[in-house]
Amino acid sequence: MTSPSQPRDGVEITMGYRALPGQQEDRLEKRTVQPAAGDAPPWDANTTFAVVGRDLDRVDGLAKASGRAKYAYDMTFPGLLQAMILRSKVARGKLTGLELDEARRMPGIAAVVALKEIGAKVRFVGDGIAAVAGTNVHLVRDAIEKIRADYEIEEHNVDYLVAENAPLLAGDGQIDEPWPEKDAADVEAALAKAAIQHTATYRVEVQTHSSLETHGGVAKWNGNELDLWLSTQATFGCRGELMRALQGKGIDIAALTIHAEFVGGGFGSKISAGVEGLAVCLLAHAAQAPVKLMLDRFEEHTTTGNRPGALMQARAGVDEKGKIVAFDWRSWGHAGFTGSGGVAVPNYYTGDAKVRRDHKDLNCDTDPPRPMRAPGYPQGWFGAELFLDELATKAGIDPLTFRLQNDREQIRQDQWRFAAQRFGWEQGRARQNAANARVLWGVGLSSARWGNLGNPGRPPHGITCRIHQDGSVETRSGAQDIGVGLKTVMAMLTAEELGIDVKLVKATTGHTSDPSGPASGGSTVTPSLSPATRHAAFLGKQQLVELVAKHLGVPVADVDCKGGSVGTTKARLPWAEACKLIGPNPIDVRGQRFANYDGRPFHGSQCGVQMAEVAIDTTTGFVRVTRMFGIQDCGLVIAKKLAESQVLGAMIQGVSYALHEQRIMDKRSGRMLNGDFLRYKITGSQDLPELECHMHSLANGHDSVGAAGLGEPPSVASAAAIANAVFHALGTPVRHLPITPDKVLQALASRKG
Amino acid sequence: MSVPPDRGVSRRSFLKGSAVAGIATTGITAAANAAPPPVASFGPGEHEITLAINGKPRKVAVETRTTLLDALRDGLDLTGAKKICDRGACGGCTVLLDGTPITACMTLAMDAVGHELRTVEGLTDGDKVHPLVENFVHCDAMQCGFCTPGMVMSSLACLERRGKPTVEQMRHDLAGNLCRCGTYGRVMEAITRTAGGGK
Repeated sequence: MTSPSQPRDGVEITMGYRALPGQQEDRLEKRTVQPAAGDAPPWDANTTFAVVGRDLDRVDGLAKASGRAKYAYDMTFPGLLQAMILRSKVARGKLTGLELDEARRMPGIAAVVALKEIGAKVRFVGDGIAAVAGTNVHLVRDAIEKIRADYEIEEHNVDYLVAENAPLLAGDGQIDEPWPEKDAADVEAALAKAAIQHTATYRVEVQTHSSLETHGGVAKWNGNELDLWLSTQATFGCRGELMRALQGKGIDIAALTIHAEFVGGGFGSKISAGVEGLAVCLLAHAAQAPVKLMLDRFEEHTTTGNRPGALMQARAGVDEKGKIVAFDWRSWGHAGFTGSGGVAVPNYYTGDAKVRRDHKDLNCDTDPPRPMRAPGYPQGWFGAELFLDELATKAGIDPLTFRLQNDREQIRQDQWRFAAQRFGWEQGRARQNAANARVLWGVGLSSARWGNLGNPGRPPHGITCRIHQDGSVETRSGAQDIGVGLKTVMAMLTAEELGIDVKLVKATTGHTSDPSGPASGGSTVTPSLSPATRHAAFLGKQQLVELVAKHLGVPVADVDCKGGSVGTTKARLPWAEACKLIGPNPIDVRGQRFANYDGRPFHGSQCGVQMAEVAIDTTTGFVRVTRMFGIQDCGLVIAKKLAESQVLGAMIQGVSYALHEQRIMDKRSGRMLNGDFLRYKITGSQDLPELECHMHSLANGHDSVGAAGLGEPPSVASAAAIANAVFHALGTPVRHLPITPDKVLQALASRKG
Repeated sequence: MSVPPDRGVSRRSFLKGSAVAGIATTGITAAANAAPPPVASFGPGEHEITLAINGKPRKVAVETRTTLLDALRDGLDLTGAKKICDRGACGGCTVLLDGTPITACMTLAMDAVGHELRTVEGLTDGDKVHPLVENFVHCDAMQCGFCTPGMVMSSLACLERRGKPTVEQMRHDLAGNLCRCGTYGRVMEAITRTAGGGK
């Protein structure tokens, strides 16, 4: 590993990337950056790495694949009690009575707590009312049945499209309401002048996160100190949330430590500890025994948030050259009883166009949304990218050509061309479907974007690095690894900085007794913690170098630490020998997450492109995604194999969103009708397309490492690319996700008619 | 989906093993063609049974209504099998019963008495790791890892039954296992690599 030296007046670095395979031009720029005093010198496009970017195994892979990994759901203690929550069967009303005594007297019951006060509003079917802890789940279920809850029931509505302020819809689902007048003049003038105009309405249904480990945890009090093994994607956020809530209940609590070493998925739904997180702490306190409370699958579908449904409408125009000159967009989001149903749309196609955007949230009596992998983006990209394909088709332009004409991002320009070649775009578009073919083939594409380069946190996030005399190294963060690979990233960065084998490094995450880190939300964790991890190893290295310099009797400046040894060009100690100088107390340092460098990075957001091929059975209306290709930038790619896993996984989730998933509500009871994995279909092995992805690593120059977020960006494009492939195959768009067989057959019928 | 002839506990053996066998079989004695079963009564409350798990007898206290999954997880601290849907819809609790993959959440613990059970824990013994498990790690056939033990067990059954499975056979044999992170492709890579002797 080599790094530029660090003079006081800044460091010149080379940002950007070398030509993608099959392309000619490097995209490199020089820039001078000012690292914070004491920070590790920046890596850049000329850095050669020994560990970073290689195909190393997930460091906790064996723990997971062998079944040894202990998730919150797996924790047990002597005398552990099990718990459940009584949920409201009423969608809207007021709690007027709650009789808990009979439940308390049931056999094996140790604690019963109310979760709602008499007189409090009940907001949706599944709202938490009371919780019970007892010897086993059977006895707890028996006791739950003895709780009497009375409600003053109000009329409810679970359909956001008939909520107050919802737009008028025509019989065919098109929006039947004039465009707003505010700021209309410019966009309408541009539309009037456009050579080609197009207007259409799009719709997406509610998707549930469907994490496989349900929400919940195991709470264990020791005096006024509490340990909580929680299935969470925000260890520190949940610690703060629960401390405040427990203190608010008058409970004497001196310390709360959250443990989340392994987490069975979150996707945005596990940022708050929720009613279940508070309930398990209260029950364990009341029972004076450890308690486990994990939601069941129906509760997971119905009470832990969702990706909101949305209704969207676009109108736009292009000029004779195929440039977008006007883009008018409005959307309505399904916000549940509270929350946000926001929708985002791409902004890089409409650089010089007159643009207007409008969004309204619509409330109704359902479980509110929570962030889900790129909140607002998959919805908006589906609408906008399908709309763009319709517009391009109307203008007689190939969808890829249309993107190249309008996309102002250089990175994506290269990615479009690269993806087209790898995927076989031209061949896919040229393939003709016979007039009477039973199976129709089509290909489609979509862009992706996200923007997260990490942040220092307040107070600044940190990482602990310990180097022991036996040569082993620890890197520790209190933030959680929900499966993206934080532990692996930390171990690889530490090994890189210390010049040692990654097998010597043990990475630990998820205990709030370690330094703080951000929530796994918005693709924040890797970009935020990678420079702190590096800084910690850098500080540890300095201490070891000093010991070795003293031992060898040479100046500190002459000593380096690389290739598994420490020393000068003339005299070197193998790593194990060098570490023996440390003595019984390890080198124990804390790295800090400094602010990103001042000035412009190579790119402020992340770019990606995906392409999909579908085969549609015209008899059954069944859509099969046969092939997908994705290219994604996430700044510096650290753990390549794991990064690919994340992109491939996002594509599979995209297939699910495009074709399968929808929450179906019973209007009369207000209850979800398909709150289980039998009737709520997610993509399975039979639906799996051939998938390929390419990680587009680039030196972004925003901190000492230059990693950007990866959780969200690849999930933006998939459903849109599939919808466009369906449009290509059918010759008519299906503007409503999921694209189920009934909609396909309807589209085919309309085409024939 | 067709049911292979060697798959599953048959209705007959299910009823024979049932806690309430004496009552339940009366209506179909002729069809089952069984000798009059012994009338045994258990419960209410817990009683001790012995399960043969990974080649060893393990005693565990269960109620008649306790599932095999709860017995493994809560009674024996074998938490590799996960409780995800508790309705046989996701395969996260897959274990092998006499070599056949079953969902432990849909099996009563008592019905597993007298059968050979294999759980994911049986594939790792200290530093000795089954090649399939190694290949799951090598191929990164996991993200959050919560479905992974179930995937490993369904993959093991697929390998043991088919030797060198085709893609279509793997798709079929994994169809009962859900993964939310989206690892199916890499799971199939791990199976293929194991079948080819790769490590």
